Amino acid sequence: MNSTVVTYLSQSKEFSSVVSWLTNLLGFDATSFVAFVIFAIGCLIVVGALATIGGLGTYAERKISADLQMRQGPNRVGPYGILQFLADGVKMILKEDIIPSQADRFTFILAPFLCMVGVFATLAVVPFSSGFMLADLNAGVFYLIGMASLVGVGVFLGGYSSNSKWSMLGGMRGASQIISYEIPGTITIISIVLLAGGLSFKTLISGQGGLPQEWYLFHNPFAFMGFFVYFTSALAETNRAPFDLPEAESELVSGYHTEYSGMRFGLFALAEYIEVFVVCGVAVALFLGGYKVPFDLGSGKILVEKLGLDSMFAQNIGQLLELGSFFTKTLLLYYVVIWVRWTLPRLRVDQLMTLCWKYLTPVALFNLIGCAVWMYAFNGKSIYSLIFESAVTVAGHH
Amino acid sequence: MFTNTLFLLSAALTVGGALAVVYSQNLMHACIYLLASLFGVSGLYACIGADFLAATQLVVYAGGVVILMLFAIMLTGGSGNKINRYGLEKIAAMGNKKTYFFAGFAGILTSLVLLKIIANILKAQPNTVLSANEPTVAKLGTLLATDHILAFEISSVLLLGALVGAAIISRPRKERND
Repeated sequence: MNSTVVTYLSQSKEFSSVVSWLTNLLGFDATSFVAFVIFAIGCLIVVGALATIGGLGTYAERKISADLQMRQGPNRVGPYGILQFLADGVKMILKEDIIPSQADRFTFILAPFLCMVGVFATLAVVPFSSGFMLADLNAGVFYLIGMASLVGVGVFLGGYSSNSKWSMLGGMRGASQIISYEIPGTITIISIVLLAGGLSFKTLISGQGGLPQEWYLFHNPFAFMGFFVYFTSALAETNRAPFDLPEAESELVSGYHTEYSGMRFGLFALAEYIEVFVVCGVAVALFLGGYKVPFDLGSGKILVEKLGLDSMFAQNIGQLLELGSFFTKTLLLYYVVIWVRWTLPRLRVDQLMTLCWKYLTPVALFNLIGCAVWMYAFNGKSIYSLIFESAVTVAGHH
Repeated sequence: MFTNTLFLLSAALTVGGALAVVYSQNLMHACIYLLASLFGVSGLYACIGADFLAATQLVVYAGGVVILMLFAIMLTGGSGNKINRYGLEKIAAMGNKKTYFFAGFAGILTSLVLLKIIANILKAQPNTVLSANEPTVAKLGTLLATDHILAFEISSVLLLGALVGAAIISRPRKERND
């Protein structure tokens, strides 16, 4: 654990005073106890905030689709209908919980929880800011991929256990789609890992800067292509349109969650919306500079030098700016995901597989080799710095 | 204390999951218990500070192998009559005396062999302290690309062979025109 919310807060004076007070009170060294409490509170905040974002995602989906189709969308509950997701949640909890009599009970109950566990476990490594990250694992991205693959198991088991043909087909489609699209997505992530030289999100982001030309998106042409490959496979992995074949309502009623009702269905939907946020966050961290703020405002050093602020206070301001930077970029991508859903028609199954295996996977492999060659040939410099350097040398000759 | 708690939880998950796999009468449920057991193994790796190995365990087993097994179970399908035309059991039932006997025997044998292998390590360094949070990713990468390059390449050839085999099996058959 190199830098987490605990190590960030342990720099402050209040932390040491609380620790010494508790040490006197309890009679043993309370450092790890306080760290544990901070960690628990951080987890609660992240889970609560992301569940709210998932809930608001359903609202955003309906409102944006209404906007694209020249409708009003939900507008009754609260100002602009913003409390609609709470009303929906209450409705789902109050609904009767139906388990089909022929269903496999154990698996039927387990499937939505597998989806939720998979998504919430990924939140541990999502880099919200340089100080607000629950765990900075050395194998950060890799862990995220592994945990996210639990969602596939959940979708598949949900389809299997319902004992319905629609669900079965949806579950089979979901599992095959998630497994297939993991390949181009993961290969693209590897090509960015090559550029950064590490798997932890801290390393991946610290290789980038706050300004767009310092992002990995514009580092070289291969990384630029890689962003679109990753984004497409992320759409497919989260079962979003145009890849929402597992829940294609025109053919499969509602796909793998046809037989689910009430909050069990709600858990599937919530998991999907939070997963969309997580994959958008990963795309931001890998390609769009993550939480970085221009001019190194995130570390707060400039604020200390120019304005003479207290260093901890300046750091806190920097953290807030970084949080703002991360959430702005991620929510913009979230908007694009919803926008794509209401713009493009759904693919057929054979087109889906063709796109993955005949186009995305070769392109991803090409990008991987391209990135490796670029790192070797240009000594790891970005295209911007190469142009800048050559311009400087040209100017120097005159 | 934290590592001990993590170890106890992971070990309980591993052993409990494995026992549930053996005792479960439903193949599908056995597969889910296997997922729990593999998760526990991943936790055990995390306990000894092998973070990359733990993540690999998650990616390979939770993401790939378990879904593959679920698919395989469903594609093989159920069988109505369990006795073939010679009056013998076609599908061996799980969780009967025979399987327990052989599984227990195999378990004891394997553990004895493993004990023999790790006995030297246990004797040589009685008080080894594991450094928990040391990054292993870079070291593993270097070792795989230098010392163990042969094993690495051979395993990739094996995977290529599997890929080609799958393509050959699943290609459309040529129709005979005679």
